[in-house]
Amino acid sequence: MPLPGLTLIGESINDSVPSTKKLFDANDIEGILALARSQDEKGADYIDVNVGRRSPDFMADMVKRVQAVTAKPLSIDTPDPEIAAAALKAYEAGRAGGKIPVLNSISPLRMQMLDLFEIQPFMPILMASERKEGAESMPCRTAEETLLAAKQMLQAVRQLDYSIANSQLILDPGICPIGGDAEGITRRVLDGMKLIHGDPELQGVHISVGLSNFTVMLPPKTADGRPVKGALESAFLTLAMPRGLDMIIGSVVRKYERLADDHPALVCLREVLQLEGVDAIMRVREFYSA
Amino acid sequence: MQDLKQLYNAVLEGNAKAAKTVTEQALAEGTDPQTLVTKYMIPAMDEVGRRFEANEYFVPELLIAARAMKTALQILAPLLAAKGVEPIARVAIGTVKGDLHDIGKNLVSAMLEGGGFEIIDLGVDVTPEKFLAAVNEKKANIVALSALLTTTMPMMKNTIESLKSAGVRQQVKVMIGGAPVTQKYADEIGADGYSDNASSAVTLARKLVAK
Repeated sequence: MPLPGLTLIGESINDSVPSTKKLFDANDIEGILALARSQDEKGADYIDVNVGRRSPDFMADMVKRVQAVTAKPLSIDTPDPEIAAAALKAYEAGRAGGKIPVLNSISPLRMQMLDLFEIQPFMPILMASERKEGAESMPCRTAEETLLAAKQMLQAVRQLDYSIANSQLILDPGICPIGGDAEGITRRVLDGMKLIHGDPELQGVHISVGLSNFTVMLPPKTADGRPVKGALESAFLTLAMPRGLDMIIGSVVRKYERLADDHPALVCLREVLQLEGVDAIMRVREFYSA
Repeated sequence: MQDLKQLYNAVLEGNAKAAKTVTEQALAEGTDPQTLVTKYMIPAMDEVGRRFEANEYFVPELLIAARAMKTALQILAPLLAAKGVEPIARVAIGTVKGDLHDIGKNLVSAMLEGGGFEIIDLGVDVTPEKFLAAVNEKKANIVALSALLTTTMPMMKNTIESLKSAGVRQQVKVMIGGAPVTQKYADEIGADGYSDNASSAVTLARKLVAK
């Protein structure tokens, strides 16, 4: 469900969602298109399309078919340059009111995907969760490293022969499931966001996360029957939006909201951010076991 | 005498402090360390796995139980080593080259360790050569590969090919996992097994070494 100030990329058409994978495996294209329509109606700003390991031709066909049933722009979701190229060739901005697609995503480990700009303009989601140092690839462990990764990505974009405004760029600091976060990744993500948002060079960039990843691995309800996932995701939004988050890949049916200061989910998340190791995870369990 | 059921409960409930206390007291009373592991701790982790499969436990419970298990194991490890007790198997685990995702890999690691396996954690972005070295130099019997991107999955195949060309493929079992990975893919690339979660990974690893 849309929240003011937050652009929503509808996540449903994704091969790693089990119910959607079934549709793909059964070649139930009507079922897939129904997902496009319903996400459009329920307020998605973009429709994500992820076909897993299927062929570039299949992706191109999906892009055309989805664009035939929705005027919303698409988010082309693949780490594979060939699939991405096929999708970009098939995409018609004219069908989406002139809006260019999002490309989800380019990481410092696959920078060659920036060459795709020669096909047509798009808004790349640039991963700031990992970086290259010489030949070494490494995950970002601190907020400072996250900012460094973001700046390296910006530099690479600036070296292209196209003029690309900051407002065409989306940085993703790489959210992690809170139920498995024994390494303070959530803290890194929130602090990293703040650094990106406050950096003069990065003024105007969008910041996005795949919000549903935050609560995978958790039960749907607390011991006394209150929702777990929507509450913790909303707690994340409550802390992240003032730090510059203005976009998510998420669900059109989830009720996202800014929580009051004393909401148990927000209290939980604030405490989790102060804890280390498995203690942080125990605090999450306390939230849904209570 | 210590009621050793308390050790079982401490692991099951993820009470690391209690697991440590009960273990220390049991040892002081002369209980055989191996008995503690095989009769109480591993059965507790098995129950953790069962509850996970039944949706009674979730990932946080797995990690908390694994920590309690590890706390007790740290006390017992030197004693078991001194008695020449061998782990069920040695697992060389890592996320394949080009892929830096580590959460799933860490979860599987924790659960395997709790299940009585010795873990050689090679980290992320692991080259086929590093997996091979773990087999040759550290005597790993199982190689566990993780990939979270459709574009890095082929590196699982490359890793298996490297084991083959080095002539060690027959002496190890290869298990794979990760969000885009499927049983079908495991069959395609000639892996010995696939698991879609950290708990069934333990069951799978046991099955593979029992063969």
